[in-house]
Amino acid sequence: MAEPMLSLKEVGHSFGGLSVLRSVTFDVPEGGIIGLIGPNGSGKTTLFNIVTGYIRPLAGTVTYRGTVLGRDTIQQRGLRGLVRTFQTPQVFEQMTVLENVMVGCTKLTRTTMLQDLLRTPASRGQMREIRARAEAACERFRLTALRDLPAASLTAGQRRILEIARAAVGEPRLLLLDEPSSGLNVQEIEDLRDWIVRLNDEGITILLVSHDMGLMTVARTVHTLYFGEIIATGDMAAIQRDPRVREVYLGV
Amino acid sequence: MSSRSLLWLVPCLVIWAVLPFVLPRNVADLLVFTGIYTVAGLGIGLLLGHCGIVNLAQATFYGLGAYASAYCTVMMGLPSIAGFIVGAVISMALAYVIGRPILRLTGYFLALGTLALSAIASALFFEWDWLTGGTLGIGGIPKLDLFGFVLDRPSRYYFFVWIVAFACMIVAHNLVDSRTGLMLRAMRDSSTAAASLSIDLQALRTKVFVVCALFGALAGSLFAHHVSFVSTQSFTVDRSISFLLIPVIGGATSIPGIVVGALFVTFLPELLSKLGDIHQILFGLALVAVVVLMPEGLVGAFGKLRTRLARRGGGHG
Repeated sequence: MAEPMLSLKEVGHSFGGLSVLRSVTFDVPEGGIIGLIGPNGSGKTTLFNIVTGYIRPLAGTVTYRGTVLGRDTIQQRGLRGLVRTFQTPQVFEQMTVLENVMVGCTKLTRTTMLQDLLRTPASRGQMREIRARAEAACERFRLTALRDLPAASLTAGQRRILEIARAAVGEPRLLLLDEPSSGLNVQEIEDLRDWIVRLNDEGITILLVSHDMGLMTVARTVHTLYFGEIIATGDMAAIQRDPRVREVYLGV
Repeated sequence: MSSRSLLWLVPCLVIWAVLPFVLPRNVADLLVFTGIYTVAGLGIGLLLGHCGIVNLAQATFYGLGAYASAYCTVMMGLPSIAGFIVGAVISMALAYVIGRPILRLTGYFLALGTLALSAIASALFFEWDWLTGGTLGIGGIPKLDLFGFVLDRPSRYYFFVWIVAFACMIVAHNLVDSRTGLMLRAMRDSSTAAASLSIDLQALRTKVFVVCALFGALAGSLFAHHVSFVSTQSFTVDRSISFLLIPVIGGATSIPGIVVGALFVTFLPELLSKLGDIHQILFGLALVAVVVLMPEGLVGAFGKLRTRLARRGGGHG
């Protein structure tokens, strides 16, 4: 069996004595779309924060492409292809939409500060490349009409799409989407679903956190998290039939 | 460059070239200081406007540049260029060594950290009189000599200082307009998101702090060769505060704003001093007025006014 892209082994965490994750173990296979559902406070975002390096887990290990992620910084994980979006979209408000997407491309290029200060041909060439990539991403995510607007002027839904475009443009291997459909209208959710499938077709593995059961059907496997523990795993149809999940979500 | 901006550039250049010949010597002298303060202010502007960092330590690097020039030329008899290089290298090295730990701080704590650096440096400039001359200072710093052409009058030094200032403005503009500039602004707007896009916040902050120190040292060396005498009074915490005022008043994200801010801090106290004892109070009031009424600085306020007028004009048309 091929090595998983991401593997969590008995990951546990607590905040000041309040246990938020208890021995969470699951794999994200390379090329898969894995879903993570659970009511508010079940530990989904904490799990994202642990995988991307914002929080160091108190127990267990996270292995990414065969290497245990120990003290690796957020940036090091990003450079190795681990990219996330946030539950509350974090756009660069004073920058334009195009500039926001351009920031997502900066890690694909390398210039030194001196080259940038002196505006060497290498520095100019890299900026051209960054701009071209960002323009193509704006086109793809239907942001072209908004590209010169400051990100502060965007609606909640547009911010979310911008954040996804910015994450996707940096050629991630594993894209972690935290509630990507929250704040989107029906059409935007349809587009989002389509983009997720297409990004996955291009080889990007996706870990998706969402409350939206409709969107969750793109995931091949869904894990249900409840008070820091995985209580059910399976495809969406199986999850919806699972008595424990029904109890947690519907109280029946 | 667009033809419209060229249209602006040509008369500006003509005025710039004519000014030292038509203005009285003391005004030309103030314009030299404006150029020197522009160089120092550019560094502060990069940190404040593009990284969101309040740097209250610029007088330290300004002092290092000035003392390096004074010591190298007067005490060691070296050519002027040696002072410029030594000042720049020491300032950049110090900024790197001090920057790594203190740039981990953010917001007010970082501002206080830089203020502490300025206070310590100011005390050391005073205490280390074997090096700095203490309150007596170091005098007799030679005027700059460019291949036999001595810059011994404000009108001559004016051109040299402003050419250096323009070069620094171009370099600062290059940085803002580059990949590094994108990363800086991203970090300023959301450090959380910037980190997720693999931007090394700590390294980037340190590098800009080093560039800021370089501008400070350069300005300090220019100052030393202009006034021919340096002493501790010129590099106190007060000076750091005036340097910080430059981008705050002019507009931290705008490079022309730095020039406007430098004009404000050099000319306004001079103009107000004619009004007698209350000039410091008036300067304080002017400062408060700019900061409260124009939070984006004078250039930002001007830009807003222009947009409003254009919109009104468009409405009628």
